[in-house]
Amino acid sequence: MSGVTGRRRVVAGLAAAAASASPLTRAAEALLPGPPPGPKSAPSRPVVAVGRREGLVLPTGAIDLKVLQAALGAAVARAAGEATAVAAMRKLFKPTDVVGIKVNCLGGRGVSTRPEVALQLAAFLQAAGVPAERIYVWDRTDRELRAAGYVLSSVKGVRVFGTNEDFDLRLVEWGPAASRFDRVLANELTALVSCSILKDHGLAGASLTMKNWYGVVHNPNKLHDDNCAPFVPHLVACPIIHDKLRLNVVDGAIAQCHGGPSRAPRWAWPYGGFLASTDPVAVDAVGRQILEDRRKEVGLPPLAAEGREPGHIAGASKLGLGTADLSRIERVQV
Amino acid sequence: MRREASGGRRVFLGRLAASCAGCALAGSRSLEAEPLQDPLAPGSALHGEEGGLNPTPARWFKTLPDGWVECGVCPRACRISEDERGTCGTRENRKGRLYTLVHSRPCSLAVDPVEKKPFFHVLPGSTALSLATAGCNLECKCCQNWEIAQARPEQVPSIAMTPADVVMLAKRKGAPLVACTYTEPVVFSEYVLDIAVAGKAVGVRTIMISNGYVQEQPLADLCREIAAYKVDLKGFDPGFFKRHTGGELRHVLDTLRRLRQRGTWTEIVYLVIPTQNDSEAEARGVSRFVRDEVGPETPLHFTRFHPSYRLQNLPSTPVATLERARDVAMAEGLRFVYLGNVPGHPGESTHCPGCGKVLIRRVGQAVAENRLKAGACPDCRRRIPGIWT
Repeated sequence: MSGVTGRRRVVAGLAAAAASASPLTRAAEALLPGPPPGPKSAPSRPVVAVGRREGLVLPTGAIDLKVLQAALGAAVARAAGEATAVAAMRKLFKPTDVVGIKVNCLGGRGVSTRPEVALQLAAFLQAAGVPAERIYVWDRTDRELRAAGYVLSSVKGVRVFGTNEDFDLRLVEWGPAASRFDRVLANELTALVSCSILKDHGLAGASLTMKNWYGVVHNPNKLHDDNCAPFVPHLVACPIIHDKLRLNVVDGAIAQCHGGPSRAPRWAWPYGGFLASTDPVAVDAVGRQILEDRRKEVGLPPLAAEGREPGHIAGASKLGLGTADLSRIERVQV
Repeated sequence: MRREASGGRRVFLGRLAASCAGCALAGSRSLEAEPLQDPLAPGSALHGEEGGLNPTPARWFKTLPDGWVECGVCPRACRISEDERGTCGTRENRKGRLYTLVHSRPCSLAVDPVEKKPFFHVLPGSTALSLATAGCNLECKCCQNWEIAQARPEQVPSIAMTPADVVMLAKRKGAPLVACTYTEPVVFSEYVLDIAVAGKAVGVRTIMISNGYVQEQPLADLCREIAAYKVDLKGFDPGFFKRHTGGELRHVLDTLRRLRQRGTWTEIVYLVIPTQNDSEAEARGVSRFVRDEVGPETPLHFTRFHPSYRLQNLPSTPVATLERARDVAMAEGLRFVYLGNVPGHPGESTHCPGCGKVLIRRVGQAVAENRLKAGACPDCRRRIPGIWT
């Protein structure tokens, strides 16, 4: 299978996928009531779908887009309890939504959400009837996005851009902190996808879908005390995020079990898959376990033994944001 | 006279224009001849990165395995991975080395009376060229300058100004002092140090208005060069201090002890917040600590809180509460106890501990009368500690 990695191919696939949703379907969907905002209460047994495929990561390190579509699509579909990713997106989003796909590009190329993954999610959304112009892929800065391989776009189609210090002027109190939020998030977006990566974090233990939201506030530097545990849950619970959050995806094509959040090739490995769930706590709990398993395989101690227990995951569960207990999570290989 | 407000971005721009008009940023050019230019324009004295950052090697840090560093400026001792920053938001790990991003990048600049800092025993009635960069290592719930103190450098406008530029501007403005203030100068300690060194050469003294949250080595390095250090003590109960600032009180107390050991002129501010840190026991505790461990001649300012930042739900401090705190402190043996943010109150003035007469009469931030003669009371000759000439 050829390694199709170019953005042009991604966009072409995206357009084809979008074409599969008929105008009639879109018009009908526009009249339907939207999904309830946010995962108000987690189901008793949340699903975390794990889509892994052989051949996802090519020997060159590039991603096979067809395999990506299959693996990511299967995970997204199962996370929403639907047969296909497009049906899942139809269930979770409506055509009138303005959907933000928050990626994590802090660590640069090699330890950031891959552009192909974010754009494939955008393609699923378009196929489900969300116009491209209403889909934003964004992170903290243009610089970090470019460094991670994104091509910025602000004119036509799916917008790809950095916050670049464009924060809403209002100071929002949330839990133990107060922040100014990304202006677009606060004022334009109606629905959110957290699309993080599967990686270790030197302070928080793991940086997955919940910690990804540190990238939407003006003061992430103030939120790292005590392994980030007092802050992450309250940030995710903040209505600006919580009431819009519909889907959580972890890009685990290449994962990193130690040395994060920066890139540490020595500790990276091709996990070759994606996690997806509507429950941000459950997907992070499973992601954390994958990191722990890998650490054990390569002879590293558990995160807790290094004083890096990701307490924010259990904390989020206590706050009612989802399920952290692995025995109560349905982990499904798809 | 509590933590002085900088006035926000708009005020910054106005002040900048007022303060810097005619100030050239290239040290070799005439200060009188040049209008304020874009300091980052090609050919200007100092270039920065996108966002006004000016990465300059940090002075206090150690390297750790895997490309991490540990910052050595404040007691937080932030462990920082590559491309990340410490809590203050101003120090970044770049390829395993720590850089300050705010050196020579002030975001607020003004000429203030020294009484505003407040320093009551440092050149009374003089002015201080006052500046700040973005960032702070604490997060006080009543931060007056949160728009710059709780921001990262690229989130606030700043200009390029080398230490030499700062000192020259102070001279031009007739200010014998440069005050590093408004936000937290500990986070821009390298800049403070370089300003202090440059100032010494031309007779301009540098003073710090700080939370005192600083490690021993940078404090020692700073104390060799600066003239005076004001510490905002914030509170005297460790639990309150932690809740209110996110820091540990003991580190600030250590700083006060070290300042005494080093003989650096020190004044202390205690912002009295209703229902939070205003008990008589706390006033007594802080007074005894100052008396026993910093010295009974150390000025202690009890200042009045006004609602700000995340403490909008409390009223301003009743003047009676401040007066009670002052009475307690004086009863404990402190010689110079002041009230702040109560313009016209007798507690603003300096009284001679020997004969009780008024030596320096203040009204708000103005000195109405200064009767000191060669640092002593003209009536009873009692020596008054401070920096008077």
